[in-house]
Amino acid sequence: MKTLNRSLLGLVIACCLAPVGFAQAPAAAPAAAPAATAPAPTPKPITDADLANAPVPTADARAKGDPDGSLTGTASDITVTDAKKGITIGDLANQVGQNKIAVNFVWTLVTGFLVMFMQAGFAIVETGLCRAKNANHTMMMNFMVYGVGMLAYWLIGFAIQMGGVGAEANLGGTPPLSAEYAITLFGKPFGLWGQNGLFLIHKGTYDVGVMVLFLFQMVFMDTALTIVTGAAAERWKYAAFVVSSFLMGAFTYPLFANWAWGGGWLANLGVNFGLGKGYCDFAGSGVVHAVGGITALAVSMIIGPRIGKYTRDGKSNAILAHDIVIVLTGCFILAFGWFGFNPGSTLGASSNGGLRIGSIAVNTMLAGMAGSFGAMLYMWLRYGKPDASMSGNGLLAGLVAITAPSGFVNPVGAVIIGLIAGVLVCLSVEFVDKVMRIDDPVGAISVHGTNGLWGVISIGLFADGKSNYGGSWNGVTGSVTGLFYGDNGGQMVAQLIGVVTLVGFVFSLSFVFNLLVDWFVGQRVSAKTELQGLDLPEMGALGYPEFELKTPS
Amino acid sequence: MLILIGLLVTLLGFLISVLSLTLTSSVGGRLVLVLLGLAVSLFGIIGLLNKHYLKNAIWKKG
Repeated sequence: MKTLNRSLLGLVIACCLAPVGFAQAPAAAPAAAPAATAPAPTPKPITDADLANAPVPTADARAKGDPDGSLTGTASDITVTDAKKGITIGDLANQVGQNKIAVNFVWTLVTGFLVMFMQAGFAIVETGLCRAKNANHTMMMNFMVYGVGMLAYWLIGFAIQMGGVGAEANLGGTPPLSAEYAITLFGKPFGLWGQNGLFLIHKGTYDVGVMVLFLFQMVFMDTALTIVTGAAAERWKYAAFVVSSFLMGAFTYPLFANWAWGGGWLANLGVNFGLGKGYCDFAGSGVVHAVGGITALAVSMIIGPRIGKYTRDGKSNAILAHDIVIVLTGCFILAFGWFGFNPGSTLGASSNGGLRIGSIAVNTMLAGMAGSFGAMLYMWLRYGKPDASMSGNGLLAGLVAITAPSGFVNPVGAVIIGLIAGVLVCLSVEFVDKVMRIDDPVGAISVHGTNGLWGVISIGLFADGKSNYGGSWNGVTGSVTGLFYGDNGGQMVAQLIGVVTLVGFVFSLSFVFNLLVDWFVGQRVSAKTELQGLDLPEMGALGYPEFELKTPS
Repeated sequence: MLILIGLLVTLLGFLISVLSLTLTSSVGGRLVLVLLGLAVSLFGIIGLLNKHYLKNAIWKKG
């Protein structure tokens, strides 16, 4: 028996160490190529005559139908510019180019649709974690943040974020997005905001590629906005929510997103100051999640905790979720949507490095798994039970953390990042709740803020230098590499400058905006409204009218 | 007043990290300055702004 136990232990240790060994070991040298026995035949160039003679199905054959698909999609489907000449090499090249861009359009749009569906996940996670008396109000905030945010982003936000991004080659170039406002600082250009793209019509931005980019970036922006509604739930005045969300969608989010993704100064830290490949954030741990989480922190601080959350001596009371079933269902919807979030951020499947979508998707699912494990084990060991809501938050924390590094790390790195995120979210929730005494009903500050920052930092550690998106990133030749894979620390400094920008600048901007909302609109509902539940006083209808307790007359 | 001071300190941390780009060209030096900036910003948020709001917290009014 002892021997069996030892063998099992040995097997477990070997299983744990093996992937690390594989990840760290240098690639094995390729086997020597077999000696050439004959020179390879010189490729014969294709001519227009070859194309003209390409076999195409006859009209009679097509008229009989094509049950096995062998007659559909042939040379006869290539668009011909001059019918007299027939198909030419020029026609063929144009068709190949259009096919490439079409693949990228479809990929980016479909992944954008997946991200849009995450709004449903956020809505039921947040509503489930709140009390039944606030269900309509919480759901309505999550529902309307989609419209409010989109309006702000269409009017001005997209122009600020992407108006100067330049060519997005995967989407056909997007040449109208070419005006970035920049100042000169320390002898280098500091891009601050884009200028083209107001209303999606300004300066030639009524363009098919720009439309695809807008849709994808819009759903990302809305994800950031909906994070705040969870942290401020159960006491946020609806009118204040509308104004605050509009300001965030129009200014706060687009500004930082421009600096990171729109050709702004953070992305150019590598080109201008030799810091690695500049600030890197593949799919938005910083741009989306940390911006949302940090704004949630600012709003929660200003609004204050719910009545009953803390006793007079500052002890925290647990206010229980009303429906854990929809909370975990929502977590699954979010995990599903994340397959749009991260792999979709390649903005194409047919491009340099586009086939990394496979490893990006796998990294995403692994980190989510590791996050839920980390949180479940932490809670189980610390409190004796595998807490359901924290396991869900662990899954989300792992997904948030892998969002930035998903395109730059290997699967072992992804699991470590996710596992740390799962434990970190539990520690952060306790710190925010018990030390800072900030009331966050859904844990949004910890899931998205803390782990968004962790995701940004993790690139500086775990990026393995194996990704290749066209030979460079942010205009610097080479692959993104972290400290554990031989970088000199420059990449880590770039990532940390991004972190301080989020903590120092984005927080301040969000705080000022929400302080103004507090002065002019008022952020918090009255104590009477809060005790009654926000559904009737704020929305005019209960979320669950049948559940209302009626006193017999 | 404490809100204004807290905001200025939070922003100061950000400025320190930006200034690291010109004050030194060594990676180590920049790392130290950026971490200092992070600490200053966190102090502004946790040590000043949050402290102000805790002083007037709803649960203390009873």
